[in-house]
Amino acid sequence: MATNPEHHVVWDWTVRLVHWLMVILVLLLWWTAEEGMMDWHKRCGLTMLGLVIFRIIWGFSGSWTARFVPMFRRLGSLGGYVRDLKNGSHKPVFGHGPLGILSVFALLGALSVQVGTGLFSVDVDGLESGPLAIWVSFSTGRDIADIHELNFDILSTLISLHVVAILVYQFILKDNLIPPMVTGKRPRSDFAASSLPSIKAGFWAFVLSAGIAAGCVYSVLNAV
Amino acid sequence: MLNRKIGLLCTSVAGVVLLSACGQSGDSEAASEATSDAGTTVLANGMTVAEQIKLRHDALEAIGDALKGAGDQLKSGSPDMAVIQAAAASVVEKSTGMEDWFPEGTGPDSGVETDALAVIWEDKPDFLTKVSDMQGAAAKFSEAAQGGDAAAIGGAMKELGGTCKACHDKYRKDDD
Repeated sequence: MATNPEHHVVWDWTVRLVHWLMVILVLLLWWTAEEGMMDWHKRCGLTMLGLVIFRIIWGFSGSWTARFVPMFRRLGSLGGYVRDLKNGSHKPVFGHGPLGILSVFALLGALSVQVGTGLFSVDVDGLESGPLAIWVSFSTGRDIADIHELNFDILSTLISLHVVAILVYQFILKDNLIPPMVTGKRPRSDFAASSLPSIKAGFWAFVLSAGIAAGCVYSVLNAV
Repeated sequence: MLNRKIGLLCTSVAGVVLLSACGQSGDSEAASEATSDAGTTVLANGMTVAEQIKLRHDALEAIGDALKGAGDQLKSGSPDMAVIQAAAASVVEKSTGMEDWFPEGTGPDSGVETDALAVIWEDKPDFLTKVSDMQGAAAKFSEAAQGGDAAAIGGAMKELGGTCKACHDKYRKDDD
């Protein structure tokens, strides 16, 4: 993929695929919940569960820009980064910028809470319930369902913030973040650094990570 | 490194918990403020407003509990019919007298926290029809439970759930 020397790969294909699948699934989950299509809501929710688990594992097994530990390390540059934003001297960052890193953790955290509570939620009629709700009482399941609803507000606020931020970068800071999340690539000239890490999804890392995520979903399905 | 990670995790968890607390504090504050002097009015049946609301809330929750218990059995590969039959009998028992649970003055204006909407008393005949639909469906559900056929029980339970939903959609505060 990185054969063109004028472009450098920023996001490996799994990061991009998972990102856009999550976008589609959040919309589908919202819609199926609004319409009361609980069978589809559960199917989509389990798919989302798999994606979230995969993405968290990929944060340790994936390519450099996908990994959490380097992200944690780069959080230290948050102060200088924000100062540059205010001074109007913003420069594109290879991978997530410090603010983007906060966004990644917040979004993944909220998504985890959302799929986690969904597993145990019980509806008010005591009929529909998450796949693991058999392990909790009706009233506990109702309380968890309340958190499920409340956390959706947190999640949708975070998503709105994320979208607004992307638009601000696009139109005000002239930092074009959307095409790289589709194609994975960015012009090499966008980055000042003389050497950039090579971004590639390891085949066996992917097989193993996806296998674990699928295994988790499978065991949820067969837990009862 | 690990410490920092754990710290961040704790912070974010604390943040979520805090946010959820914020979201709910408004409701409970209003409720506790209201219960301090409201709800002591005595109804024609001898109960106070607060007692009446608590009674129906607990009974409806018990019905939810029983339905969930039956549903959990149906979901499992080998449903325990005795559990389902007991749950179904409990739904019938707990829903007896439901038509009397909503006397005038036990709505949201009573000052006691309730999810019952004022429209109940604006269209009481329709509300009562829905109550008796539920009681009828509960009886059929119990009958099916006695029969012991999982598919028939599942069908009867769906019907029953539909009657719960029909009423909740129109007459219960939607917290979704």
